[in-house]
Amino acid sequence: MHFDITDIHYRIKQEIVQALFQVVDPELGINIIDLGLVYGIAVEDTDKTVRIDMTLSTPSCPLGGLIKSHVTLAAETAAPGFTVVVNLVWEPRWNAERISGQGHALLGW
Amino acid sequence: MMPSREYIPSRYAILPYYGAAAFVFVVTTVLCLVAAPAFAGHYFQPKLLAITHLAVLGWATLLIFGATNQLAPVIAERSLYSERIPMVVLALLLLGLLLLIPSFWFFSVTRWSYTGGALLLTAMLLHAHHVFKTMKHGRGGIAADCILTAHVWLILTATIGLLLLVNLRYPFLPQEHLHYLKIHGSVGMAGWFLQLVIGVSSRLIPMFLLSRSEKTGWLTVTYYLVNLGLVFFLVDGMTANSDWGRPLCFLLVLAGLGFYFLFVKKCYTSAIRKKMDSGMKQTFLALLLISLPFVLLSAAFIRPLSAPSLVTAYGVSFFIGFISTLIMGQTFKTLPFIVWMHMTKPDQLPEILPKDLFSERLVQWQMYVFLSGYLLLLMGILSTTLWMNYAGASLLVLAATGYLFHVLFIIRKLVNHAL
Repeated sequence: MHFDITDIHYRIKQEIVQALFQVVDPELGINIIDLGLVYGIAVEDTDKTVRIDMTLSTPSCPLGGLIKSHVTLAAETAAPGFTVVVNLVWEPRWNAERISGQGHALLGW
Repeated sequence: MMPSREYIPSRYAILPYYGAAAFVFVVTTVLCLVAAPAFAGHYFQPKLLAITHLAVLGWATLLIFGATNQLAPVIAERSLYSERIPMVVLALLLLGLLLLIPSFWFFSVTRWSYTGGALLLTAMLLHAHHVFKTMKHGRGGIAADCILTAHVWLILTATIGLLLLVNLRYPFLPQEHLHYLKIHGSVGMAGWFLQLVIGVSSRLIPMFLLSRSEKTGWLTVTYYLVNLGLVFFLVDGMTANSDWGRPLCFLLVLAGLGFYFLFVKKCYTSAIRKKMDSGMKQTFLALLLISLPFVLLSAAFIRPLSAPSLVTAYGVSFFIGFISTLIMGQTFKTLPFIVWMHMTKPDQLPEILPKDLFSERLVQWQMYVFLSGYLLLLMGILSTTLWMNYAGASLLVLAATGYLFHVLFIIRKLVNHAL
């Protein structure tokens, strides 16, 4: 996940990404950043909100609610004072190209 | 569309089923060992009737009921209809088994046998009603169709079974008992077990392998072919009983299975997850093992003189080879997850993962021992070699005992966590 270094929220976004490395897909044992499940992070100073767009590896995942809670928890730790809103999105559809090299190795590629 | 924690049912609707089924599995294999010589004779005899019904109802169906209570809300994306009904169903099933199985083993059909049979049928009706209520307005698609239709066949199988039980003491059916027994067995195997496996796996295999294929059209063809074959089998068996009826139904079910395998192959080739854990390897092994019962059934059609031992081998290869291998594999895919979900809190990042709740190596060893036992027993039946029956059954007892302790070890983690 890459951010523009000139973005005024560059640092906080990087810290959120670092925190999200702790959130692991329980079935695969791989963190959601290496899996490419996080699509975007937006920071709003006006209402002190962090919006995270993310998906799940499968829409019928029974753990979706739990993973969403853990993402909120990790992001709130990295961005104290901000309200974290997590949106589960299904477009574009998650695919293998979003997975990092480390993630590919762990999946047996 | 968003899945949520609301679809996670209470642990009491699921875990007691896993524990009870694992215990019954051990009892079943012990009975196989005690009655090892019985496998050399005709399939219609007291000991084999008792073992078959215990394996089918107390091991496989019991565990499937528990797993369905977990999966039905996930597939339908709805909450479980009731948290109490599963507990009532479990009590009825266990009580029914306690009354029915001894009557088969000692071949003493009394009013207690009928009570046991009636309790089992009541439990099945209640469970089917519960699953239907849970999935009725859900988004289940073809997976839900297979699961719900499988429950209809289960009720039919159990109803025929109860009628057969009455027929044992008060013969009233127009044709010979074995004729209806074949219908009872075949409808149960293909209608209940096979169709349920197809429905559940059509969701679980893509989920566990992270498959990108959405070719559910093949599953629809499977659904219609299998059910057409079964309806035809039932109608023909109850009325005309034609010579070509059974082979035709067999071919329809086989063709349906062929389309199911096309779906599985597509899931496998489009999987993002290339490295499979032991639970998934075992699942694929079980799916390959399903070919053996079909080969044995074909042989029974071609060589009717050898049919009794071939039919016994067919039953063993279906329930021990296919169903038990599948259940043992899927237990270590589903149970650690269920326990983990109940151990994990939304406001706390988990320190462990489901894979930390069990031993992958032990799962592999259980499977090696179990498969060795199964193959020895099968060879013993086909070659009527008694020591092979004993050796095979002993290994099955060992594998089932290991499985029971492994299941209890996982459940105990949750109990300790809750204290």
